[in-house]
Amino acid sequence: MKTNNPQLIGQSIPRIDGPHKVTGRAIYTDDLKLPGMLYGKLLRSPYAHARIKRIDVSKARALPGVKDVIIGADTPQIKYGNWRLVPESQDELPLAVDKVRFIGDEVAAVAAIDPETAERACELIEVEYEELPAVFSVEDACAEGAPLVHDISKGNVSLVRKISYGDLEGMFQKADYVREDTFRVHAVQHAYLEPCASLAEPDEGGRITLWTSTQTPYLVQCLLASTLGIPENHVRVMKVMVGGGFGGKMELRPWEFCAAFMARRTGKPVKFTLTRVDELAFGRRRHGMTLYSKVGLSKDGKLLAKDFQVMLDGGAYNAMGPTATFLCGTFGNMAYRLPAYRYFGRHVYTNKPPASAMRGFGAPQAYFAMESQLNQAALDLGIDPIDLRIINAMEEGDVIPEVATVSSCGFKQCLEKVRAASGWDEKRKNKKPGHGLGISAFSFISGGVFNWFNTKYNFSSVEVRVYDDGTAHLFSMACDIGQGTDTVLRQILAADLGIGIDKVRLTSMDTSNTPKADLGSWGSRVTLMNGNAILDACRKIKDMLIPVMFTQFDLNQIQDIAFEDDHLFVRSNPKKRLSFAECVYKALRGRRGEPLSAHGFYTPRNRGLVSPAFSFGAQVAEVSVDEQTGLVKVDNIYTAHDCGVTINKRAVEGQLEGAIQMGLGYALHEQFAMQGGRTLNTSFLDYKMPTAQDMPPSVSLEVETYEPEGPFGAKEAGEGLAIPTAASVGHAVYEATGYRCQDLPITPEKILRALGKLK
Amino acid sequence: MAPAELNLTGTKVGCNQGDCGACTVLLEGRSVSSCLTLAMEAQGRPITTIEGLAPSLSELHPIQEAFVQTQAVQCGFCSAGMIMSAKHLLDHNPHPSEAEIRQGLSGNLCRCTGYTKVVEAIGVAADKLGGASAKEA
Amino acid sequence: MATSHFALHQPQSLSQALDLLEMHRASVRLLAGGTDLVPKLKVGALKVANLVSLQGVPGLGAVAFDEGQGLVIGGTARLAQVAALPEVKRLYPGLAHACSVMATTQIRNMGTVAGNLANAAPSADTAAPLLAYDARVTATNKKGSRDIPLAQFFAGPGLSVLEPGEIITAITVPPPPPKSGSAYQRLSARSQVDICAVGVAASLSLDGQGRLAHCRLACASVAPTPLRCLEAEEMLSGQAPGDDLLDRAAQAAAAAAKPIDDMRASAAYRRQMVEVLSRRVLATCLAQAASLAQAQGGAA
Repeated sequence: MKTNNPQLIGQSIPRIDGPHKVTGRAIYTDDLKLPGMLYGKLLRSPYAHARIKRIDVSKARALPGVKDVIIGADTPQIKYGNWRLVPESQDELPLAVDKVRFIGDEVAAVAAIDPETAERACELIEVEYEELPAVFSVEDACAEGAPLVHDISKGNVSLVRKISYGDLEGMFQKADYVREDTFRVHAVQHAYLEPCASLAEPDEGGRITLWTSTQTPYLVQCLLASTLGIPENHVRVMKVMVGGGFGGKMELRPWEFCAAFMARRTGKPVKFTLTRVDELAFGRRRHGMTLYSKVGLSKDGKLLAKDFQVMLDGGAYNAMGPTATFLCGTFGNMAYRLPAYRYFGRHVYTNKPPASAMRGFGAPQAYFAMESQLNQAALDLGIDPIDLRIINAMEEGDVIPEVATVSSCGFKQCLEKVRAASGWDEKRKNKKPGHGLGISAFSFISGGVFNWFNTKYNFSSVEVRVYDDGTAHLFSMACDIGQGTDTVLRQILAADLGIGIDKVRLTSMDTSNTPKADLGSWGSRVTLMNGNAILDACRKIKDMLIPVMFTQFDLNQIQDIAFEDDHLFVRSNPKKRLSFAECVYKALRGRRGEPLSAHGFYTPRNRGLVSPAFSFGAQVAEVSVDEQTGLVKVDNIYTAHDCGVTINKRAVEGQLEGAIQMGLGYALHEQFAMQGGRTLNTSFLDYKMPTAQDMPPSVSLEVETYEPEGPFGAKEAGEGLAIPTAASVGHAVYEATGYRCQDLPITPEKILRALGKLK
Repeated sequence: MAPAELNLTGTKVGCNQGDCGACTVLLEGRSVSSCLTLAMEAQGRPITTIEGLAPSLSELHPIQEAFVQTQAVQCGFCSAGMIMSAKHLLDHNPHPSEAEIRQGLSGNLCRCTGYTKVVEAIGVAADKLGGASAKEA
Repeated sequence: MATSHFALHQPQSLSQALDLLEMHRASVRLLAGGTDLVPKLKVGALKVANLVSLQGVPGLGAVAFDEGQGLVIGGTARLAQVAALPEVKRLYPGLAHACSVMATTQIRNMGTVAGNLANAAPSADTAAPLLAYDARVTATNKKGSRDIPLAQFFAGPGLSVLEPGEIITAITVPPPPPKSGSAYQRLSARSQVDICAVGVAASLSLDGQGRLAHCRLACASVAPTPLRCLEAEEMLSGQAPGDDLLDRAAQAAAAAAKPIDDMRASAAYRRQMVEVLSRRVLATCLAQAASLAQAQGGAA
């Protein structure tokens, strides 16, 4: 393991944007105002499935203060979707043309001088619909003769993913123990605190500048340009602060299109800001799924085979569903050695708000099934559940067939650490009624390899400029949405060039002024990929500075130059030194004034099709269940995780702590009350994410490995941690009550009913 | 009430339904949801928003300082409301227990932090503020 | 739906407020804390031409206790104020609990007890304990005031017996009898913020022989209005408390509930939780009363 990390690596450098955020000076998209700005509102479908027969906007247009009203027929009608690699998967239009496919599907948009006028104008738009039969579950959607959500997708299946390796039947034959289970998991929402907002400004020549609350500015730029039918370079996407994303802000959205389209038509800036009702009732969600899993094990606990069949409830459009369909299959066999595996995933359309990416991206669902099933198998085989995992755990150097090679892996250490910290062995020996411990594990990716967006550019790119005042300027399209990458990337740059972090200026996320490209903040990719791009640029900058040292001190070929404490020095003779500033000055002179600037790039190559690196972890939950009310209280959570080398300790802890809140909500409280295709709980009063009082004490245990593919040995720490909680709490509830949840969330009523205690 | 109309954008609108706490301000020293307050009702009564908390542009209030130091801020959208709730809490209870801090924050939702570092920050701020007032006394 | 447009009136005295109510009676609502009203106005769910704010009316904001009259909660007294009064914590723990755990800190700093009752939501958290304490509502109009026992106040979901032109000027809660106990418990998926899925309050006192002299049991969120469980109360009064009796009373309370299925809980769960919570609050009340009886007995 490499140990000579610079001082800055691992330090809890406070967020660069912290002071702005705590004083209210931080600007978010909705805070922006431009002269003459118009306010946009969307008219949405009240029907889950209907043909649009007629739209009359004349009354809306006539309302004083209304500057523009558009419907689908006014637009270029070019479909979009994130999977540019498979054009037929691009199934969305910004405004519905032929029919509407979910309650909330966008039908028209208004721009007016104030939000109230825009809202009233929406109420004046007359739409005549012919209601069509609709489907609300994957089972109904796949039934014989079910109405089609999209005519081109027969049986409502929009995409299929198959994985198969090993001798599945043979291995099941060999297995001493085989079990089959079907799990159902529900839809939940990102519930970022900042509702989506976008502001488009018309520029000369029909060009557009768009400020938007997004985690993927480059994707928005490309898709907005193609959907408007204009060159990519005509669209400039920028962001200010983004109030969280978690996967929910990584596509082109109708209001981004409508803001840009109406800005071009009116010549005025147009802003859209969504309400919380918009977000909860019509916004993207995590996929609900039905997961059938058959596993075979030997009597000594070796996993031999797994047959995994998943139906994803995709809602009305593909969104990021294809990726979830692929990844769910990958997560079905990522943490454990498995000689034979078969996956059959189907992405199914229903007349509900589209599901998309959400923290974990197919993993919370796949692992809930896998881990719950392993816990049952452990019980049946008489093997301790932690031992069962250790028997099968991936190790460094292991190959996931057709996927990747694991180049760092602290999985077993994680399992041992949570066992010790939670008091697993004693507590299980001295079981108390109504009280239980549960375990779950996970593995996750550090960014994706499979190029579904079909970008022509590198996955991450930066430019670094250095100046003779000793400072550096980093240009990066990486996208801080609250996770802290603006700080961490500066830390990586400062650490590698050996300058103070206060010397680093950052220009981030402006598609016209930061180098092409960065695919955005998703899949836990930024630290590894953008960090590597920074190191690539730094190497080039160093190549410009090192010759100065060699000339200055007339150094022998074999000498090495160190970059530390704002200085360059000869490693074997630190007295031979120049300040960073002076060195840049001399280099500038030597280059006859040509500025010192370098581009850095990273695209994972020869790392399989899934991810360049894999994180691992394990979690024990300790719960008490009130056997009369069925209420579950989580008393403690112990989590051990291997995220490689930690760059910023508190930032990593923050990811874990936040992930537990999300995981706990998924396990216990959060769900959508649906009636047909209608969402009933459209406020935070009834969409119940945990409050400060609902959060259990939590113990975080770090297992540090060195990931050779990551910057300074780092890998993912963002999403993986959101995975294990549903299964660890589920297992603990089983230990406490005997109720085994195969149907999330775990509610008091389900517990009491299963125990025969609810009359 | 819309602080944005006064060109104060620090107070955030997370739900506009009185459920998330992002828009918390102090009205006559009490934490209230500004989205549930009619502007005319607040007229003539002292209001403190997040912009009014720091003593100067270059200095932070001890609560703000603690939020920065502990990394209690991630996306920052809930931070202004969290900090105003913390101010209300510490004004009324200068030495809160962890349970009291958690109760004092229960009207402020956060999706990033799991509240852990927010609770820590308020503890740190309480110590700082408590120390200061002890010295004054 | 677009925001409603309305005129806001800010009277500076009770008589002005009553005049304004009378003057605009065609379309008028009272505004106290605003926590229920303002969100409805914002989304246009409530259309009303006039709002009469009680903010500036002097003399309605106090909460005070005296041993003769008991607790008097002014018409604009906020939930947080009630929760903070030491006498409320000591003598009316059920009410103190309701006022300190319902909704959020911010809403408790704005919302009023009178508003919580006047909205007449079946889930009103203060209603169950106030019913258990035999509270009375003082309603005032231009002609004078009348006292309405809270047990007769609610008429249906969102409906009370308040007449147009009436303002709740006070809620009076009699002093607790000696050797008494009271409690309120609520259930919801999360610890707070939520509207309660089920709430049960009780108060009781013991006579010299240790029998239940007086008993009240009331529930929230399990019927069209906050509900007194009269059968259970009758079953208990005059009896020597015992596990079996408390069980039967809790069952009677559950039988009296008329819950519905909604997204917060099923009717079956609600009914069963009335039984569970009734049993628990009665036990808590009894323990309090017994410890008071012991202390008071010792003093005598």
